[in-house]
Amino acid sequence: MLLNIWKKIKKSPTIILIPVFILLLLGLFSLLSITTLQSQAPPNAFSKQLFFLIPSFIMLFVMSVLSKRLIHKYIYVFYVLVVFAVLLPFFGDKVSGTYRWINFGLPFDIQPSEIAKWIIVLVLARYLSDHNLQMTHFSSNLFPLLIALIPTIIVLNQPDLGTAFVMMSSVLPMLYWIGARPFHLFMIVAPLLSILLAFNVSVFYFWAFFLAIVIFLSKPKLIYGLGLYFGNIFLGLIFPLVWNSLRPYQQNRVLTYINPEIDPLGAGYHIIQSKTALGSGGLFGKGWGQGTQTHLKFLPVQESDFIVSAIGEELGFIFLLLMILLFFFFIYKILRLAINASDRFSGLILIGLASIFMAHIFINSAMASGLMPVKGLPLPFISYGGSFLVSSFMMIGMILNFGRDDGY
Amino acid sequence: MLRSPNSVPKTKFWLLIGITFFLHILLLYRFFQLQVLDYDLYKQRANSNRIRANSVPAPRGLILDRNGKIIVDNYPTYVLFGIGDEIVSKSQNFSVISKATGIDTSYLSINYKNNFRSRFLPTKLAKDLTISQLSRLEEYKNDLTGIIYKQYPERIFNPKIRASHVLGYLKELDQEFLSTKTNKTDYQFGDLIGWSGLERNYESILRGRKGVSYFQVDAFGREAGKIEGQKNILPSPGTDIKTTLDLELQELLEKELKDVKGAGIVSNPKTGGLLAYVSSPDYPPDLFTGLISTKDWETVITDIDKPLLNRVTNGLYPPGSIYKMIVAAELLERKLVSESWEVFCPGYYEFYDRTFKCWNENGHGDVNLEKAIVESCDVYFYQAIQKVDIDNLSERSKMFHHGKKTNIDLPSEMKGRVPTYNYMNKKYGKWGWSKGALLNISIGQGELLVTPLQVALYTNILATRGETFPLHLVNKKINKINKIHIRNSTWKLLEKAMRGVIISAKGTGRRADPKIKDLNIFGKTGTAENPHGEPHAWFIGYGLKNDKIISIVLMLENGGHGGEVAAPIARSIFKKYFKNDYKIAIK
Repeated sequence: MLLNIWKKIKKSPTIILIPVFILLLLGLFSLLSITTLQSQAPPNAFSKQLFFLIPSFIMLFVMSVLSKRLIHKYIYVFYVLVVFAVLLPFFGDKVSGTYRWINFGLPFDIQPSEIAKWIIVLVLARYLSDHNLQMTHFSSNLFPLLIALIPTIIVLNQPDLGTAFVMMSSVLPMLYWIGARPFHLFMIVAPLLSILLAFNVSVFYFWAFFLAIVIFLSKPKLIYGLGLYFGNIFLGLIFPLVWNSLRPYQQNRVLTYINPEIDPLGAGYHIIQSKTALGSGGLFGKGWGQGTQTHLKFLPVQESDFIVSAIGEELGFIFLLLMILLFFFFIYKILRLAINASDRFSGLILIGLASIFMAHIFINSAMASGLMPVKGLPLPFISYGGSFLVSSFMMIGMILNFGRDDGY
Repeated sequence: MLRSPNSVPKTKFWLLIGITFFLHILLLYRFFQLQVLDYDLYKQRANSNRIRANSVPAPRGLILDRNGKIIVDNYPTYVLFGIGDEIVSKSQNFSVISKATGIDTSYLSINYKNNFRSRFLPTKLAKDLTISQLSRLEEYKNDLTGIIYKQYPERIFNPKIRASHVLGYLKELDQEFLSTKTNKTDYQFGDLIGWSGLERNYESILRGRKGVSYFQVDAFGREAGKIEGQKNILPSPGTDIKTTLDLELQELLEKELKDVKGAGIVSNPKTGGLLAYVSSPDYPPDLFTGLISTKDWETVITDIDKPLLNRVTNGLYPPGSIYKMIVAAELLERKLVSESWEVFCPGYYEFYDRTFKCWNENGHGDVNLEKAIVESCDVYFYQAIQKVDIDNLSERSKMFHHGKKTNIDLPSEMKGRVPTYNYMNKKYGKWGWSKGALLNISIGQGELLVTPLQVALYTNILATRGETFPLHLVNKKINKINKIHIRNSTWKLLEKAMRGVIISAKGTGRRADPKIKDLNIFGKTGTAENPHGEPHAWFIGYGLKNDKIISIVLMLENGGHGGEVAAPIARSIFKKYFKNDYKIAIK
């Protein structure tokens, strides 16, 4: 038995752990600066993060040696359980204005949506690999979408827009991987883009033009093509009208519903402070523990959402370059494992997990550097956050497991 | 189907790699842009984010009397401020302050409301905090947001005297003032500036230069230590000014004028320096330091005796008989009358259909010019003035500094009024006035208006035959006033007459003489009729003993007869000054 486990570990693509542990160290290093140097007594973010490494490593090990067959067999059951799990917080108390966490009487709260996001990947992987679907038909895409949408809509109502986005982020790459037509996938996201881009007139002109070309090149039936095109344009035209007809307080209510952490000092404040912290770090940073924006608390949520800015301020562009290289290497490695996977189920899982990580990396960094509106999402292995850390290492465990070519 | 083959074309892999690569490059470029390309911008922004420069007020220069005794001093007080933008919860902060210092929260709220000007500027919450209150507040530092305190040197005044109209007061600068002042770089909102009196006139000397202390602050505006390599700029205190005032004489004169309305000026005719300066009633000099209570302010502003009016420089009064020396000078200099020319005074004078009364209804009998001044006969002047041209008299008055500013070193001063032919025409129309108006002017009534300060200069001119200096409160290099071209014989007659006012049996100023050996007093009384009730009582005069000299001007608003009420006050000043044998350096 033990020998068997040892064999499994030896055959695992453990190279993936190299970037993970370097990034983990970078995060701990930064958390140490944020907490200890601000004379925060434990338990603080640093000590809690250290504590959460214990269950993380246990789960990493468990997930990497767990029988794939078992996972495959019971994943639908897990899916149903996780849908209930994300519903559970609604029966508890609001924490920071949201129903994201469940309190089991432990010293920390648990965030079930962290698990839900990769459960979706596993369910989709099984569904897409079990059935020999005619992926070239548009209708084949609808059921997988529904699978992902059910927990996502619940999470969206917690409300947690960031995690909801991450939950959906794995769907399209997986569908693409299994053979869905890019045009169909494009048409799935097109209505959303039509709505969002309609708020800027010149961008919307460009979008309308681009949409026309895409539809023309993919040669659908004339009636479908025209329907798709004008449907989208109509959505784009009507939505700003509806939005503008709302009173400001109604708009605000919608915005706060989407993002309850919308900050009271005006939406731009956090981004300005974050950019200031990042920019003032320069090429080599102000030195570890020397970040004035970080230590004087100008930088908000510095231990999770804006940790990139804290690193950028203290350690400079050099370290962010290193961080980005490691992340790229990490994602590249997962994709490599996916293409080399011997079976479809494993490949799909690896693609889904890579998508989740990519979504976290991109949204977190883009937000901290002002490329995207503020939407709190942690950075894998670096940000503080118990559930997230454990969940991340569970995903790493699955990558080790499904990236290993040893049959079942 | 667990083991379905993973037959995915390589192009899909490369496309996903491409997207991944693109997203990473995008992030990397963004970091590069912020951290390398725009580094300077954000570095600067970060610095202004964390550094707070607090101005450290410089102690103002002291105001001293002529012997170096301190009239106005400084003492340190602590003032508590709240910065609206950084205060997280007002009520929470106020209750913490209240707990630490015992100051009522409602008092803090009211002050915050009243003093609030901008959420980014410190708003004054409380003043006059003690060190122990502050140290208790320090203990609660972590519960406070946006609360700071500053040490302010506040003015403290010599308790013996008030002299509020001379010293003036300071005012906290408001936005309104800053927007009008041209040289605004020097001053900031909340700075104190000399707003009246000497504080205003010598602002640039007294003020000194503010210092700056730099602090590192956290996002809640709490001071988080000093900034390495950033030295504080120490304030440089203002320069003291030594005035010509004499603390003891000032004290005496204030005591003498305590319960009356009026003005008193004691000066040295040989230097022009003012030894005492009283405008009564006045206000406590510390009335305007710091936060003035509405009640105090209303008491002062609604007082019908107008304590805020500086009667010495800004009160306008008819001079009455003290003006007669100017008329006399005009008569003699233009040879309109001779010294021996006489008039009979029956106590009144009939001019066409009007009767002009002499103050002494019993009449003065035969009166020449000297007697007319000594006994202050009005009838003499009613008749003599008819030989005088109004414009010539106006010129003569200006020679004696009537109708022009004395240019004393105080911020505000009235010019007075000396009527001319044109003025009368303008006011009454060409045919609307007659020589009858001149009769009134001859005894210092009618259109004529002077300030007590002008009269002080006039007295000094009489005391020195025009060889005097401009009046001033702070010594500095100044030239004598313009030479007055008047014959010695005329000066002699005026002096003889003014001496007679004091020593002659019927002299109106007899009560001004303290009868000290070798002390010669010269003077003139005045009793100026006015529409506001009792006449204003005037006394002007000077005392000479060896080479020591002082002049005194007293004006008691609605006080009555100058010889009866003003002259005795002059006597006590002379007595104090010459008995105590004051040592006054004479230039």
